[in-house]
Amino acid sequence: MKLVMDNLGFLFTGAYYTLLITIVSMFFGLFIGLFTAIARLKGNRLIAGIARVYVSIIRGTPIIVQIFIIYYGLPDYGIALQPMTAAYISLSINIGAYLSETIRGAILSVDKGQTEAALSLGLTPWQTLRKVVLPQAARTAIPPMGNTFIGMLKETSLVSIVTVTELLRSAQLLIAQYYVAMPFYLAIAVMYWVMSTGFSAILNVIERKLSKAY
Amino acid sequence: MIEVSHLSKSFGSLSVLKDVSLNIRQGEIVVLLGPSGSGKSTLLRCLNGLEQADAGSVRIDSVHIEAAMRAKERKKAVHELRSLTGMVFQSFNLFPHLTVLDNVIMAPMTVKNMPKEQAIDIAEKLLGKVGLAEKRDEYPSRLSGGQQQRVAIARALAMEPKIMLFDEPTSALDPELTGEVLQVMRQLAEEGMTMVVVTHEMKFAQEVANRIVFMSEGIIQEEGAPEYFFAGPKTERARKFLRQMAQEPV
Ligand SMILES: Nc1ncnc2c1ncn2[C@@H]1O[C@H](COP(=O)(O)OP(=O)(O)OP(=O)(O)O)[C@@H](O)[C@H]1O
Ligand SMILES: [Mg+2]
Repeated sequence: MKLVMDNLGFLFTGAYYTLLITIVSMFFGLFIGLFTAIARLKGNRLIAGIARVYVSIIRGTPIIVQIFIIYYGLPDYGIALQPMTAAYISLSINIGAYLSETIRGAILSVDKGQTEAALSLGLTPWQTLRKVVLPQAARTAIPPMGNTFIGMLKETSLVSIVTVTELLRSAQLLIAQYYVAMPFYLAIAVMYWVMSTGFSAILNVIERKLSKAY
Repeated sequence: MIEVSHLSKSFGSLSVLKDVSLNIRQGEIVVLLGPSGSGKSTLLRCLNGLEQADAGSVRIDSVHIEAAMRAKERKKAVHELRSLTGMVFQSFNLFPHLTVLDNVIMAPMTVKNMPKEQAIDIAEKLLGKVGLAEKRDEYPSRLSGGQQQRVAIARALAMEPKIMLFDEPTSALDPELTGEVLQVMRQLAEEGMTMVVVTHEMKFAQEVANRIVFMSEGIIQEEGAPEYFFAGPKTERARKFLRQMAQEPV
């Protein structure tokens, strides 16, 4: 226990990186997801096809393999990335594929009459998407996206393998130093749990607000 | 003002419009009648490009749209058609995430780049006209069906269309709420708006329409002034339709 307390600062730094990686990947993943969803729904055959293949590959392969390809594979082609950069890129690409499915479903769930009403008023298809469809799709998409975010918070532990010192690797480094494992693993378990439940609580509040607004 | 010529439309193997031609003058109130599935909605939707015909053409004012047009030309023509027409749907289709006022000002601000104050000015006048000025800050879900439909009419009018298209505007409403919507439509008619109305409200058709167009199986079976149509329909189909309507008032 004392060991944990002495090294709390180090663990908190790890937790900070876990959070940072999650938020940054989620942020870029959101853009990738939105772009991919729109490409699949509105793109011509080629663009929609590329988007579909991307989603299928990401969903059909382990995230750890994706991370390895980005970090250990790309250097073969002269693209050597910093561990942190590799983590951001691989997780953003991963999360983007999953979010695109959520967003696509949410867009499709908006009643067709909404689009027709907007078009009949003279809005272009893009204006219709932006002003009418996406705001309504966002309501549907936000709760599952929150769950993706919490899932990603835990998945970030995988990038410890490519030497990103996030929460898990912080614990492993301490274990290597002190030759005791349990206290550190328990400590980070608690920290993961606190972060997850914290975000769950925030998500609940947001969901409640959303269901009230109209 | 509206000139529909030789319009045909199929969904797969189902032929919904078969060589339909129809002219409508400025200020005319045309009521489209016909049994379910006869192609009334499809015809109406061809007038503002929500449906694309397989053959034939539609002309409204100087805007001409033909089935044979190239995609780019067509897109432009459809956009112009929509600036001339306003549409009111059976299911209202108000934007649930916007307040009543925002529903009405959104299109003028987005499509015409109208300054907000000016859009609000127009919206308030129109909401007053449909009797809902005090509801401007409510969300649509807080309104009754009749109120929602009146907002939808105000929303369409805010774009200053020359023609209003109504697709069964009262069919989704409880009987006690249809009157308030029909009242607004009567008022519009009196102001000289050109209107094409699909409805099962026979009384409205009889009193407000200048002309009844009766469709069945994708064909205009007959048309004429309401006093003649209702007194003595020429075709057997129309007689049968009117008998049915009399039996089960919708
Ligand atoms: N998008 C579509 N895809 C396939 N079939 C369609 C589509 N839209 C309409 N139809 C079919 O076309 C036929 C005519 O439809 P339409 O909506 O024009 O009829 P309507 O006269 O308006 O009928 P109602 O009184 O029931 O509204 C119907 O059989 C309908 O099922
Ligand atoms: Mg119909």
